[in-house]
Amino acid sequence: MTDTTSGIKMTAGTRLYLYASLSLVACLVLVPLMTTALGGFKSLGDLRVNPFGLPHQWVWSNYTDILFGERYWRQMGNSLLIAVISVFLTVVVSAMAAFTFAHVKFFGSAQLMNYFLIGLMFPVATAILPLFIRIRDLGLLDSYWGVILPQVAFGLGMSILLFRNYFRNLPDELFQAAFVDGCGYIRFFWYVSLPLSRPIVATVSIVTFVNSWNSYILPLIMLNTETKYPWPLGIMVYRGEFGTEWQLVLAFITLTILPTVIVFFLAQKHIIAGLTAGAVKS
Amino acid sequence: MASVELKDVRKAYGALEVIHGVSLSIADGEFIALVGPSGCGKSTLLRMIAGLEDISHGEVVIGGNVVNALTPRERNIAMVFQSYALYPHMTVAENMGFNLKLSGVAKADIEKRVAEAARMLALGDLLDRKPSQLSGGQRQRVAMGRAIVRDPAVFLFDEPLSNLDAKLRVAMRTEIKTLHQKVGTTSVYVTHDQIEAMTLADRIVVLNGGNIEQVGTPLDLYRTPANLFVAGFIGSPAMNFLDADVDAENGQPAARLADGTIVRLDLARQVKRGQAVKLGIRPEHFVAGDTGDTVVGGQTLVVEPTGAQTHVVFTLAGEPVTAVVDGAFPARHGMPFQAAVAAQQVHVFDRGTGLSL
Amino acid sequence: MTDMTAATYARPAPAKSAVKYKSPTARGRLPVLILFLPPALLLFTLFVILPMGEAAWYSLYRWNGYGTPTEFIGIKNFTVLFNNAAFSQALINNGLIILISLLLQIPLAIWLAMMLAHKIAGVVAFRLIFFLPYVLADVAAGLIWRFVYDGDYGLFAAVAGFFGVATPYVLADRSLAIYAVLAVIVWKYFGFHMMLYIAGLQAVDRSVLEAAEIDGATGWQKFRYVTLPLLASTVRLSVFFAIIGSLQLFDLVMPLTGGGPSNSTQTMVTFLYTYGVTRMQVGLGSAVGVVLFVICVTLAFGYKRIFMRHD
Repeated sequence: MTDTTSGIKMTAGTRLYLYASLSLVACLVLVPLMTTALGGFKSLGDLRVNPFGLPHQWVWSNYTDILFGERYWRQMGNSLLIAVISVFLTVVVSAMAAFTFAHVKFFGSAQLMNYFLIGLMFPVATAILPLFIRIRDLGLLDSYWGVILPQVAFGLGMSILLFRNYFRNLPDELFQAAFVDGCGYIRFFWYVSLPLSRPIVATVSIVTFVNSWNSYILPLIMLNTETKYPWPLGIMVYRGEFGTEWQLVLAFITLTILPTVIVFFLAQKHIIAGLTAGAVKS
Repeated sequence: MASVELKDVRKAYGALEVIHGVSLSIADGEFIALVGPSGCGKSTLLRMIAGLEDISHGEVVIGGNVVNALTPRERNIAMVFQSYALYPHMTVAENMGFNLKLSGVAKADIEKRVAEAARMLALGDLLDRKPSQLSGGQRQRVAMGRAIVRDPAVFLFDEPLSNLDAKLRVAMRTEIKTLHQKVGTTSVYVTHDQIEAMTLADRIVVLNGGNIEQVGTPLDLYRTPANLFVAGFIGSPAMNFLDADVDAENGQPAARLADGTIVRLDLARQVKRGQAVKLGIRPEHFVAGDTGDTVVGGQTLVVEPTGAQTHVVFTLAGEPVTAVVDGAFPARHGMPFQAAVAAQQVHVFDRGTGLSL
Repeated sequence: MTDMTAATYARPAPAKSAVKYKSPTARGRLPVLILFLPPALLLFTLFVILPMGEAAWYSLYRWNGYGTPTEFIGIKNFTVLFNNAAFSQALINNGLIILISLLLQIPLAIWLAMMLAHKIAGVVAFRLIFFLPYVLADVAAGLIWRFVYDGDYGLFAAVAGFFGVATPYVLADRSLAIYAVLAVIVWKYFGFHMMLYIAGLQAVDRSVLEAAEIDGATGWQKFRYVTLPLLASTVRLSVFFAIIGSLQLFDLVMPLTGGGPSNSTQTMVTFLYTYGVTRMQVGLGSAVGVVLFVICVTLAFGYKRIFMRHD
């Protein structure tokens, strides 16, 4: 770590300045989150006069009603299912394609790689209408596949790039040794490349999972039935339904972001590394 | 086990030919070293024998079969790589048994053969470790174990010791030699280190610029180098070369150096009077003192003691010349130095063609 | 010596090989290509490349999405687009987002990263807190801030009440709404940029800073003349992400304002959604897609070529 004080003890003034500034920013980040979580415990009247502080009376029913209801779990389940399938497909499909780019010499290899890199340059929104029409014509509208397939396809550019760069950095002699041991390309992929690629599989999985878990525009356009909605869509519907009953909406928001926050704090090292590396390396 | 034969083997990348027609016969059980400076094509040649590199022209024959179109596995060769190329995610035992597993050998059989190879290489206690937990020498032994486990027709070594420190290199050299004596498999060993080649090989192939310069036993190459390149490459410290013209002295063939010094030559040398030649004298063939066929002398430029021996660099006919003398010899910088050399120890090369005369 | 041998050992020209052998290294290439490439190729072509091409095609038609597009209208969709006040507002807003990123978000991120480079207790906790908004879904963040800005229940109402001033309905105010949105964008994304700078700072060689110190540089001078130039490639990367991110902005705006009031907070993508998708004007929506695509590709190529060619 670059330490600008170079090992010399810093003055009390500097220390105070650092902590004061950092705490101020931390407050700006945390206060909206804390009031959201606490707001879920309040009654509407309490919320109106006292949005900041602790609830005068802890109203647990806001949370328990949601937790004992079916809606919350169904939305979480939908999001999880879509994300897991997306991660699996992305990893398998892009690892295989990247392997051919890294290890198999063939005519047009570089051009084909560039073809996939086009996918890095524009967001899914640019092609959302033709995509909708395509999914509709394929009969996949209002199905999970209508969300998963475009999502995976738009993630391929970056995933293939990450995998290819990783595979290319595996030592060449390893491939030759495996060839001498009797591996063909496919057995080399299965026995050597994949087992050695755990870090990059983790990176690609984290990026894909987070993108899918938080994804809004694709399900918004592809899904019509509320029982199939993933949570970002469901939460918007919930807010539309309960309008100004903020205490319920806040409780619902808190519960939906809770898994993200818990997983983030548990696996923060991997998630930060995955998300920043995923961005930087592509 | 099998013999290996190369028939006019060439390698070209597009229009650029890097191996210019190499022919070589390797007997069953022989240990052959390919040596040469970097870029001479020795590794490319080895990889063509292995099946890792396509053969542009000519044939490679292993055990009587042309193997040009066969994969390394079908050729039944095993290879030890410079970086060892151990699979980092497998244990030592898995590394050694991987090729047997791929060819469908029964699990019990794999374990037996791995254990046997491990015993031969003293790897018994390390079988459950991962390569990252091993020292350089241990990794080297695992790489060799991986090769012997499958009982291949040919062992190929691609500079296997160059990643080790000097002391370990000497120890592993001995182990490789012992191993070959035990299993007796035909081996081809690539190195740029002529000492490794001399100590290990039955025969040495000296390569230069994609051509074979000479093939022979280590002592053949040392005693009768075919040309200037081999003479300069084999031997340490390197042979001294001096320009000279052939003359005669008392009816005996001799050569006159630039400063007029006469050096007596062996009767067997095919030389003509007036021929322009290069004389080659190995540093260890100088004998300090003034008794011998030819006595030369000059001012001492550098004295390098190595313990048992001392390297003395002195001027002869205006050129710096190295002599190896006994460590007890009192050489001193700036002092005159005198040494003798026997006529049969003086190599003579044609200055135009570089060939030995 | 070498020149002599080269001259001496000129070889005869290679004879033609009698038999042509198959290459052992090429064997097995075809099966792996046939097995490994098509899934990716199919998915990518079907759901990325073809839709993009179709967007270009549809953008020349007036079409409601049913049947096949037949009503060819040339570039009319584009002229409509560029004469549309809401779309102009969307372009301006996208520009504004980029500007705020450059002027506020990135300096903030660098400042925080520099502070977190000190070895003081709690650094890791602060880093986590600052990164937290980035991992939350845009939709959730948007809803949380919708509550914060709420004139009846939210934090703004409470603060206003505390000072005894009239409660501002920020998100309903044409002139204020966009700034409210910008604030949320900074809140949501500064942590990501900060992480980039922390990674960049870790790569800075400490001894260079010590050398500057020995040369008599003050804290600010060290930053200005040593750290910042060494962070240049990170800055370029971070600016790039800020630009690309602003062009895609949609999820955050929808729960906050949905592009309103009176289109004052539209971005290109919310415009596309509001006018293209919900009204099923496929031609117009595709035209927005094409404009967005052209801007993205131009930026990606132009920016990388001009600013990032050494990185």
